[in-house]
Amino acid sequence: MVGLSLGETHFIQGGIAQDLRCDGRKRLTYRPISVETGVIPQTNGSARVRMGATDVIASVKAELGKPSLLQPDKGKVSIYVDCSSTAEPAFEGRGGDELAAELSNALQRCLLGGKSGAGAGIDLSSLIVVEGKICWDLYIDGLVVSSDGNLLDALGAAIKAALSNTGIPRVQVAAGTSNDEHPEVDVSDEEFLQFDTSRVPVIVTLTKVGRHYIVDATSEEESQMSSAVSISVNRQGHICGITKRGGVGLDPSIILDMISVAKHVSEQLINKLDSEIASAEAEEES
Amino acid sequence: MGLPNVSEDLSSEMEVDAFRRLFPLRYFERHLAESIRPDGRPLGKARETSIFLGAVASANGSALVKIGSTTILTAIKMEVMTPSLESPDEGCLAIDFHMPPICSPIVRPGRPAEASPVVSKQLSDTFSSSKMIDLKELSLVSGKAAWMAYLNAAFIMQDIYCLDADGALFDAALLSAVASLSHLQIPVVAMNDDGKIVLVSEEDGQKREQEPVNKEKRKLTLRSIPFSLTCILHKNYILADPTAEEESIMETHVTVVLDTSGQLISLYKPGGPVLAYTSAIQDCAALTRQRVKELKSFLDKANSAMEVE
Amino acid sequence: MPKLYKFLSVFRTGAVNAASGSAYAEFGNTKVIVSVFGPRESKKAMMYSDIGRLNCNVSFTTFATPIRGQGSDHKEYCAMLHKALEGAIILETFPKTTVDVFALVLESSGSNSISECVAGDLPVVISCASLALADAGIMMYDIVASVSVSCFNKNLVIDPILEEEIGQDGSLMITCMPSRYEITQLTVTGEWSTTKINEGMQLCLDACAKLAKIMRSCLKEVASDSQE
Repeated sequence: MVGLSLGETHFIQGGIAQDLRCDGRKRLTYRPISVETGVIPQTNGSARVRMGATDVIASVKAELGKPSLLQPDKGKVSIYVDCSSTAEPAFEGRGGDELAAELSNALQRCLLGGKSGAGAGIDLSSLIVVEGKICWDLYIDGLVVSSDGNLLDALGAAIKAALSNTGIPRVQVAAGTSNDEHPEVDVSDEEFLQFDTSRVPVIVTLTKVGRHYIVDATSEEESQMSSAVSISVNRQGHICGITKRGGVGLDPSIILDMISVAKHVSEQLINKLDSEIASAEAEEES
Repeated sequence: MGLPNVSEDLSSEMEVDAFRRLFPLRYFERHLAESIRPDGRPLGKARETSIFLGAVASANGSALVKIGSTTILTAIKMEVMTPSLESPDEGCLAIDFHMPPICSPIVRPGRPAEASPVVSKQLSDTFSSSKMIDLKELSLVSGKAAWMAYLNAAFIMQDIYCLDADGALFDAALLSAVASLSHLQIPVVAMNDDGKIVLVSEEDGQKREQEPVNKEKRKLTLRSIPFSLTCILHKNYILADPTAEEESIMETHVTVVLDTSGQLISLYKPGGPVLAYTSAIQDCAALTRQRVKELKSFLDKANSAMEVE
Repeated sequence: MPKLYKFLSVFRTGAVNAASGSAYAEFGNTKVIVSVFGPRESKKAMMYSDIGRLNCNVSFTTFATPIRGQGSDHKEYCAMLHKALEGAIILETFPKTTVDVFALVLESSGSNSISECVAGDLPVVISCASLALADAGIMMYDIVASVSVSCFNKNLVIDPILEEEIGQDGSLMITCMPSRYEITQLTVTGEWSTTKINEGMQLCLDACAKLAKIMRSCLKEVASDSQE
């Protein structure tokens, strides 16, 4: 937990009210983002994202599995977050479980879309190999290495970067066996399919401190929040998911206002992130 | 023992509620001396009892039982299973008694209540010794050719949930379990080409290609139905059907389980500070005999009400 | 036109005698019991706190879903219920103590197993819990009502049933305090345009206000009964 004196809290709150935060940022400015891709070689895709002192790693692993009975034409994606005790002493043992579960749920809600697949960042139909029999299971793991606020946005960005770094092996289904219960497949280890990540949304968390809200709050600023709303927005400007944190109630008009602000901020964030990812990929190849 | 005397002096001045909380045993004993209990019942009388069958729509059989404010909900699901090697022609009955945290202030989430495995065990012991259900009746296709890999039998899973715990949990759980078994509608099953047993849907939407295996027996035959009554022994008093408060203050319990013909199925006296004379046990049995008649008529009434619908 | 409200609801307080307060709610196929215990002494391991604590638990019966479940706790619901309620309860009124809110879903309207998201049950659990809190006499700023809508072929469907939930393009759940006009919990999944969100939120808020009216009249009935 962040221990702040009365003076410090006044300073933070006063700064936010005057649109000049402790680190010199404005209310709607992100900290510098740095992206590194391919950090974990044994996964299909991985990325590390740093925003100030917040440091997270996301990895994507693909395995062949069986689609669920209810949705035989779709692959499966699961997202788990682990809060390492290196990030914060309070995460030791089972201390981080609650936060980890909250983050996992929020990410699933923001990235996986509705039941019919509308608004999903990942096209589940593209993961199918043989309908009803074989599909790709994507395991997306997030790891919080160092925590200084705004974990959800950082994890969302890291997952987006990791997915664009992901190559899924091309699969050949052996001809003539497609009616079997277990068709034979040949997984290529040379040819990889690239993921289309243009639809993956970014998450913008607006943290309300006093009467104003800020993006990319540090943990000091988060300790002063009354509530926070995380909004995931895709490139088309459509909302893909909303999660509210913090128990204090919000007026509906404020939430609508937050949504429009988030849409505006997300445009810049997506562009920034895309260029960071592109340069990271270029660096990895060189 | 200076305390009781002090309380006697105070009792004239103190408010009833405060006296009840501070000296619960005294409070009860003064009632008992007048042959009445704090809730207005005579010592040997059980609380108001009601049975409602078919409370859970998704179950094959279910019953909601209330004894006073103790509320028990039982739901039965039937599944097809492979019988064990020792008894290839028998089905199986599994009983699980749950005490979710909503039922009592004592139960906390994550820590199962002590009473729940005890009641589960007592219930399954009672059922197996009463021979109420012939487990052979649950066998579906045992008489078939010997080479068949799957012998099939029905597996009855009974989940008993305590929704409100106010004493005499075993009595209410047993009544609810028995009532749900009497309400049980066995689903129609048929054997498919692979020799596997499959459920036949109720709606009869698709053509019925397979002949149902158990078309005629949709109800379970209950041969002798067990009913029980729990009594508290305290000094020379016998209190039938105790509430949770009474159970917590006076700790010697006797549970008698009889079947409808009055035969003793089981008797539990799990310890307690009062050593019972045989005459006291006989008195408990006599109270139980009366109670069994009462419960039998309740159950019959509930079942006939179901048939009317 | 959005579908009309499916308010086939039953609310009843005082379902469990052993609890300080309790409520039973039936909403379509969903049946829920919520018990409230306390305020009672916090666990020994807890540190001193000058405001009260709220402890929530949601579990399902084994027969709540068509396929027999494990009857386990639902971690996500526990957290969501906690968040939905904590903003409405005046925690300052019971320092050093804990209020326990335990919910048991007797029957679920949701899909085949609990692990698949059964979003239809959560609003009922939340509304029922707030009624149980009121029954227990825990001080609240306002009653908490919760409603969800599904976006379904460009139509908004309030209080979706299972078939609608499986095919939905998105869902929106709002928990609010209608008299204060404040949202305590909001979740959205699926793809939504801003106008659609506007429309959905307004629909939910109106429904919440209606729901709160029903809940309030249920509480009043009990109060007037006990006076007689």
